[in-house]
Amino acid sequence: MGERIRLGFIALNDAASLIVAEARGFFADEGLDVELSREVSWATMRDKMAVGALQGTHMLSPTALAISLGVAGSDPTPLIAPFALALNGPAVTLSSRLAGAVGQDGRADGLARLVARRREEGASPITLAVVFPYSTHNYLLRDWLAAAGIDPDRDIRLVVAPPSRMTGLLVDGVVEGFCVTEPWDTAAVAAGAGMIAVRGSQIWPRTPDKVFAVTEAWAEANPEALQALLRALARAAAWVDTPTNRAELAVILAQPGYVAADAAVIERSLSDMIFYADGATCPAPAHAGWLLTQMMRWGHLPADLDIPAVARRIYRPDLHAQAMEALGLPVAQPVALLEGFGATGRYRLEDSAQEAAAAPLSRLARD
Amino acid sequence: MRVLVVDPDPARAALVAEGLAGVEPLDVRHCAVFDHREAAAFEPDVVVVASDSPDRDTIESLREATATNPRPVVMFVDRSEAGLAEEAVRAGVSAYVVDGLSAARVRSVLEVAMSRFALMNQLRQDLEKAKADLASRKTVERAKALLMKERGLEEEAAYRLLRKLSMDTGRPLGAVAADLLAFAGVLKGDA
Repeated sequence: MGERIRLGFIALNDAASLIVAEARGFFADEGLDVELSREVSWATMRDKMAVGALQGTHMLSPTALAISLGVAGSDPTPLIAPFALALNGPAVTLSSRLAGAVGQDGRADGLARLVARRREEGASPITLAVVFPYSTHNYLLRDWLAAAGIDPDRDIRLVVAPPSRMTGLLVDGVVEGFCVTEPWDTAAVAAGAGMIAVRGSQIWPRTPDKVFAVTEAWAEANPEALQALLRALARAAAWVDTPTNRAELAVILAQPGYVAADAAVIERSLSDMIFYADGATCPAPAHAGWLLTQMMRWGHLPADLDIPAVARRIYRPDLHAQAMEALGLPVAQPVALLEGFGATGRYRLEDSAQEAAAAPLSRLARD
Repeated sequence: MRVLVVDPDPARAALVAEGLAGVEPLDVRHCAVFDHREAAAFEPDVVVVASDSPDRDTIESLREATATNPRPVVMFVDRSEAGLAEEAVRAGVSAYVVDGLSAARVRSVLEVAMSRFALMNQLRQDLEKAKADLASRKTVERAKALLMKERGLEEEAAYRLLRKLSMDTGRPLGAVAADLLAFAGVLKGDA
């Protein structure tokens, strides 16, 4: 058994593969000495990764990209993402009043009319919460709003709040809605605080969300340990995605040291999520490229960034393939065409610059 | 001095209050969780947050938001995490207090944080002003070129004309140049 490896996670459903790899002994099977560390903020996770207090983390994809580029409020720490932890985790939950304005088609046009009416009446703008500035949730919500002509920086207020506290903020009326990864949407519904207005998968089909990230330096110094981690995670993800295991999974996640929410709520909240099937664990550079494109569109990245090059440097399907091969599992090709994404409904890495400039309300269009 | 302590542990708020005893006027407010409305109403001079608080992400996001007034942030750090405090400072925290620190040093830490923050803010404003100056200079160059072309003036004479317009109207050179460019567009039928 090698050196102890410390991995950080936040209490969310998409940490399931990490949690199960520990709880069901997949890390131990690989001879790994892994200590999972439950963290409470992405900022602390970023700092701990930078100083080497954590070797790997459950991480918001845009945060992993922003840390590598040095735009997440810190000097750059090159990270790599050799494994995707889940698809379809996020949803937009709104107060019952606002949710009524969102139609069956899941579009925000009704919300846009409400925003306009509130402005005419001089009422305070709608406040919505996301989990971190550099989060899938921030960009997913912004894209959804912008498609209906709502400017997320001018027409509403966007604030940041911890996932587990979203329900309370909605109940207290501090926010009127939020975008967060499950189980916190289903938990808010169960508490009678609001309704799920639209699922991530209705906005970006097979929504890319969290990745497993390590520093490039650690990966280069510990190639064997990294491969062992990826094998354990792949086996855990396969277990997580097996329908007959979902009830047991919910019980594991519900434990206080893990997600710490009601098991029945967690089980329901897992229904839309994909952890393993159809190559879900493969970190596709197209997913990184799409998120970088969103960051650029809103002016959160320099307009001259070479998105395809950055996406391919950070997302590493080759390291993922190596682990799958060693397990004798089918090696999925990373998805290259994202269908249902953007105005044209088709996005490839090479479309990034054009997509960033042409997207509704793009901050690049002004110049 | 108004200090907002965001920390589930009331002992730390007490430590901050004790360390600041004698500072007049002083208002140390303690809340277990961060509240946007309360923070906006209180307008703290400095925010103190525990490194293991879930509110760190929220407080960081306030620093990035241009709409809200940023505040210096001081972080309480557990001493078991070597290097974490230094990293947090690199990431934008103004200063840190290691757990177990005596109350006597709290005041100097907060003062350092506030002056450091003021310095960073000044640098940021200087940078923004430099960017605006550069943009204004480009506008003046374009207006000068327009005058040279339309009025057949030498460069020096075009600049003197702009200066004269600026002094006659009592408006900055950049603003006069921008007006000139805008009106030229209108006269040519661009707008």
